[in-house]
Amino acid sequence: MPVTRTQGACAPSMERAENISVAAWPRVKSRATTRVSAKTFAAIIVGSALMSAAFASSIPLQASIVTVFLFAGPHNWFELRYFLIRLPVRFGRSRNFFLVAFGGIFGLTLAYVSLPALYYAGVWTGENWTTAIAWWNTALLLWIAALVLMRGRQTSRRDWSWALPVAFVLCAVNWLRPDLFSLAIVYLHPLVALWFLDRHLKRTKPEWVRTYRRCLMFLPLLLAGMLWQLSRTPSLTDDNGLFWRITQHAGAELLPNISSHMLVSTHVFLEMLHYGVWIVALPLIGATGAIWKVNSIPVANHARGFPKLVAGLLVFSLFAVAILWLGFSMNYTATRDIYFTIAIAHVLAEAPFLLRMI
Amino acid sequence: MKQILITTGIVVALAASAVFAFADLARPKTSPSKEPKTVLYTSMEVSTDAKSYEARLQIPQSVLQQIAREAGNTSSGTSMGQRLMNSSTRTVMAGVFMFLAISFAGVWLARTNQRRTVKAVAAVLAIAFMFGLATVMVRANAGPPASFYWQHLPQNLTQGKPTQAGVHIQIVEADDSTIKLIMPIKKGDKPGE
Repeated sequence: MPVTRTQGACAPSMERAENISVAAWPRVKSRATTRVSAKTFAAIIVGSALMSAAFASSIPLQASIVTVFLFAGPHNWFELRYFLIRLPVRFGRSRNFFLVAFGGIFGLTLAYVSLPALYYAGVWTGENWTTAIAWWNTALLLWIAALVLMRGRQTSRRDWSWALPVAFVLCAVNWLRPDLFSLAIVYLHPLVALWFLDRHLKRTKPEWVRTYRRCLMFLPLLLAGMLWQLSRTPSLTDDNGLFWRITQHAGAELLPNISSHMLVSTHVFLEMLHYGVWIVALPLIGATGAIWKVNSIPVANHARGFPKLVAGLLVFSLFAVAILWLGFSMNYTATRDIYFTIAIAHVLAEAPFLLRMI
Repeated sequence: MKQILITTGIVVALAASAVFAFADLARPKTSPSKEPKTVLYTSMEVSTDAKSYEARLQIPQSVLQQIAREAGNTSSGTSMGQRLMNSSTRTVMAGVFMFLAISFAGVWLARTNQRRTVKAVAAVLAIAFMFGLATVMVRANAGPPASFYWQHLPQNLTQGKPTQAGVHIQIVEADDSTIKLIMPIKKGDKPGE
């Protein structure tokens, strides 16, 4: 059970405080409030995936513009809230893990943002861009490997030392084709949300896990169908700056022999799944309180927590979402570029929090 | 048994890594003269049209855009593929990380005390080696070169049939604006050979 403000007088030990993140949404309560059957849950997942695939395949560019405009900002807000829920009040023996995690998120984000910033400021000519990206990817891989090793050492049952050779293999692949490695991150990142949902269901709705995993088996089939259908379509006409930027983001320049229609559709489809998981599935499934209530977040509700800081952070983030919408309305292309550069922070943040849930 | 498996795994890993050892290939000799730069490899079809009075060269818009992009990227005198293969820094870094990966994988394999894990890793390495070997063998089964198909061109032209095969699009420095099509057909070749 989480230690709430009313129980705070017990002065819980570090061990107990750390357990808060594990039982943020108590299983008993969430089970009691189940209103939807597993079959309905499966029907919603498959139906949503089919609709997203149809939408992304038929009008990829328009779907990309609308999807990013509507959901990019809010999904970041929901991710922040979810991570706050998973954050322990006291780090305890996970202190080093979180230090490395937050240090990596900050450092890697700063490096990622500074590359285009230095280029546009005229400080850097952009020469050796590929090498710079390769170094950044290497730092990312080594950071994740360090987190995996640290997480593995927290339990004697786990031996995750295989992470280091795997990370080195990925580093080698990255150095052969850094541009394609970065593109792989663009396509793989949306799928991480599905892993989060799996771990989330295991804790809050274990009776749905089997159904969910069966639904996941449908995803490769759906993707294969999409790729088969769209592989023969002509490339999209990227005759304006925005359409060109969208096709480039999906890898049209790196994979010139593949239809850009197929690339953009696949990317938009995966993004839709990503947004759907973060905005709809994770906040609703197993939730014990309204999303705007801060007291459902352990790090705010605990006697030694930070309710004002958490509330301030969430309100500030809401303003950031509003500013993002304003930016999209005024100059969609520039705001999209800025967003996808800064949004690397949320991509990075997913790694430590996912590891904490495994 | 464990030691045999470990030794086998290391030997297999080293053998498999030989497939990726492009770094050991001799560097191609660079000629001081201006060589044509290959910017794209695509397929081309030569067909006849009895109703036309002029020869026509039809290029898909996407291919033209790609040629323009690649031509712009070849300012250093090499194609995209050549630049990637000749990037010594990246090749060295990839080699260093591959070395580290194999070293740490060996240490991990030696330290792990679970027989099941050792067997699983040995199986993975064996499968990887098989894939590597199969890749080398598949190269031998690759389709015939484009010149094989182009041998049929004269016969097909007389019969009014189209001929389709691969073509390298090259950017050359020339004084006139004539587009040249060089076919890999020898004088003595007979169709079907």
